[in-house]
Amino acid sequence: MVAVEWCFRLTSVALLHGLLRAASAAPVLEEEFYENLKLTPLPDGRLLTRFDFKTLLRDAAPRAPHTLAEEDEPQHYNLFPLALGQLLREHAVTELHLTLNAGQWNYAAWGQPEDSGVATGAELWAWMGESRAISVKDRWKGITNGLAGLFCATLGGLDVRRTVSPSVAFQPEGDIPSSTPHHLLYAPLPSESVCTENLTPFLKLLPCKSRSGVASLLNPHRLFDADWHGMGVHVTWEEGLGVMVRMNFVAVYNPTRLMGLQNKRDWSFRLLFDRSITRACPVATRSAIHVALPSEGNFRLEPTAHSNLGNIAIFDVSKVQEPLELSMKWPDESEFDHTSFAPSLSPPLTVRRVLTGAGQSQGALAVSLSNTNTETMRVAWVETMPWFIKFYLHTLEATIKGERRNDLVKLVTYAPTSSSSQAPTLLESHVTIPGNTTLRLTIDLEKSFISYTQHPPAAQRGWDLPGGIIAFTSHSSHRGEKEKELREQRIYTPILLVDLPTPDFSMPYNVIIMTSTLVTLLFGTIFNMLTRKFVWIKLHE
Amino acid sequence: MRTNILKRALLAASAAAALYLALVVYEVRANETAHAAAAESFFGAKNTQGHTNNWAVLVCASRYWFNYRHMANALGMYRTVKRLGIPDSNIILMLADDAACNPRNKFPGTVFSNAGRHLDLYGDNIEVDYRGFEVTVPNFIRLLTGRVEPNVPRSKRLLTDDRSNIFVYMTGHGGNEFLKFQDNEEISAFDIADAFEQMWQKKRYNEIFFMIDTCQANTMYSKFYSPNILATGSSELGESSYSHENDNEVGVAIIDSYTHYVLEYLETVNKTSRTTMSDFFNHYDPVPIKSHPGVRADLFPRPVHETLVTDFFGGVAQVELIDDDSEPARGTPISISIPINTNTNTNVPIQNEEPRSARAEVRDSSPASARRVQSNVKVKSAGVGVGGVGSSVGSGNARDGLSGEMRTWIGTFSVLVLGAWVARPRGGNKKAVR
Repeated sequence: MVAVEWCFRLTSVALLHGLLRAASAAPVLEEEFYENLKLTPLPDGRLLTRFDFKTLLRDAAPRAPHTLAEEDEPQHYNLFPLALGQLLREHAVTELHLTLNAGQWNYAAWGQPEDSGVATGAELWAWMGESRAISVKDRWKGITNGLAGLFCATLGGLDVRRTVSPSVAFQPEGDIPSSTPHHLLYAPLPSESVCTENLTPFLKLLPCKSRSGVASLLNPHRLFDADWHGMGVHVTWEEGLGVMVRMNFVAVYNPTRLMGLQNKRDWSFRLLFDRSITRACPVATRSAIHVALPSEGNFRLEPTAHSNLGNIAIFDVSKVQEPLELSMKWPDESEFDHTSFAPSLSPPLTVRRVLTGAGQSQGALAVSLSNTNTETMRVAWVETMPWFIKFYLHTLEATIKGERRNDLVKLVTYAPTSSSSQAPTLLESHVTIPGNTTLRLTIDLEKSFISYTQHPPAAQRGWDLPGGIIAFTSHSSHRGEKEKELREQRIYTPILLVDLPTPDFSMPYNVIIMTSTLVTLLFGTIFNMLTRKFVWIKLHE
Repeated sequence: MRTNILKRALLAASAAAALYLALVVYEVRANETAHAAAAESFFGAKNTQGHTNNWAVLVCASRYWFNYRHMANALGMYRTVKRLGIPDSNIILMLADDAACNPRNKFPGTVFSNAGRHLDLYGDNIEVDYRGFEVTVPNFIRLLTGRVEPNVPRSKRLLTDDRSNIFVYMTGHGGNEFLKFQDNEEISAFDIADAFEQMWQKKRYNEIFFMIDTCQANTMYSKFYSPNILATGSSELGESSYSHENDNEVGVAIIDSYTHYVLEYLETVNKTSRTTMSDFFNHYDPVPIKSHPGVRADLFPRPVHETLVTDFFGGVAQVELIDDDSEPARGTPISISIPINTNTNTNVPIQNEEPRSARAEVRDSSPASARRVQSNVKVKSAGVGVGGVGSSVGSGNARDGLSGEMRTWIGTFSVLVLGAWVARPRGGNKKAVR
């Protein structure tokens, strides 16, 4: 008896030991956290503020998709966002990008953004490796719903009706393991709004939350007052470096509006964020504020920068002893006159996109691409439309000043929609735009008559269509390293609102009432005729 | 003679087995009753009223900017339940439209409920679980009954059990026995009644407090037939519920009258208040509310005057203070109720429910304060139920040891006897055959 008991004890001890060993075998990875705030005064008097939070999990690798059937290795994070990390491991995501933006990025006045992802509404794209255990589609479903829960957004709606796999315009920013074939899935959600409930979980993923460091400036009441604001979460993997989570919040402020009647472009932290940085985030490896100094004008930046790099003033937040309160003033300017500033940031390419045609069933999409350079440009044009918009591919036409130039458009992909699968349309093509010309592309489309249960609750408002994407595939004047940088640049056109024929939503009730009445009348009469017997009755007199 | 021995051995073995079985049965029974009693005493403790966790489902069913006040109604309730201790992970907030960041809102990121804009309900720490087009009748019913798709995240699920008290608040435009969702579809009083019945059958609640602010609101709870539901509404059949006041800067009506007075009363309640539901209902005054609020308590088994307001609006956890040196089992646990605090600066790391994977409140708590609390007070959620059982386990320890030993001996003996018996008969039989 005793021997048996001892045997049992020994086995359990051995088991426990084994478990402990397995647990300790999980490597504790080095983590680094960087935070940065960049303030760039724009020529139109606005101020571009960009918060960047980078967490690097050194030497980590994304989960190999073929291990999805097995139990995952235990993970231990100190700074890396746990909730996001769990989601990435659970669905074996190699690279992921999520953006939530409000407003339309003004390319002409603000230039090309640092991160191309400035599409209005939500946009999600990810690279996932193939796995026999769980298909990429199922994992996509998991990741969209998981992110919906994590960021309080309606990303759960990014189902098969929204998801496409473009082959151009999207390049991985990090490395993709060559051992497994990877798939890119992309889904836009133009009607998504961005508000405090999205920022709250965003801040909770940061190691210092919004209590210290640069993140303490993230005041929702001020950020959502900005002319343009958006947040992004980017997960990439680089071989030899590790897994990196880049979270950013970009806001374009209009100080002339915030200053009220003064109409000046002076700004300060108090004015922009209604907060100041009181202490540094202790776990940040580097915490800095960069202020891009304008090339002209007499301005005063307070306090004095810790260092200068070219025309960028750098403040080291970790050195801050007293509350850091930056301000920039143009003392000579009594009033900001934005007309006196030439738009120096004008991009090489401007895009306009409209929906033409009257009526609720037919229409056309017109995109005009203007190349402001003298050199010929080759761009990729990507259109993705919900299932209720059908393109007529044979009507795709390219014109320059009314002259047909279909030779300039080379079709890459056309995945038509089908009303049964409700998969979206995907149209991808390479477009060549000669220097100093405007190329006009038109394609006819049909707006489907969708079933009344498929309409959203506010059906009369119409449907938001995602913006078109123009990606720079190459540039003739740039070679080598710069070329890769340019390839990743995308221009998003404004989103469109399409008016679909809406039924009278009370119609079903009318139909039910009408049908019931008719049935009652018909059935009643026939039943009466069949069952009643009409006889003569002799009355006793 | 051999058969005699065999018979005896068999008899002995069966007797031993029977004894053993009887002992086991007795022990299991004793344990069960002890545990049941301990559980009962724990759950039935004065502070918990049979529930161990609190949940809130707050629904604003109206879309469009001019329905700002309905957003404010729901957010006012959100603020109150959060203030009284229900963590974000236990609050399901459904807002049919985005009033805070609406382009028409002059004050971005805010929703106010009073003229003069003294209190911002949106704040800077809010989690909206269902928003925009997700607020639909099917989603609401699925949420209540738990019939959601496997991919739906935890934040969009009502993870309640039979010890959960749920506060359901609904607001929007309605009529006789219906409430409109998004100006597009309706939920009827029968739908909600059936959903609650299904919840009861699936043991998804302990008690429900249903509150609704809409026109002819009292008709919405008239169809309930499931037990343990307390319900209240803002207006009688044929009566409208009106808005309370406008703010000229916001430009629309900012709160409904009934909810305004409810919130005003709830502001006087704090986490340790002993205010009862009857105090709360007695505070209703139809004159300023401009309608006749109703209460339905016939399905509710407890007397309303003994039901605390915090039973539904507060997340109250059982906390036991135990001396550091004494064994946990021996010391008489001093039960006090400490409300779960969700404020970021004074966060006590109590989780009423199993932590939500994505957005657990624990992460928000500062580790320093957590350690400080744990050094002298052992804090645990009422849901765990260890503390209450601890004492009974302690008293049962001696008996456990004795019976365990006896069981071991009897077991050993019976195994030996049975072994001997199995080994014996073969030889005997062979001889008998010869």
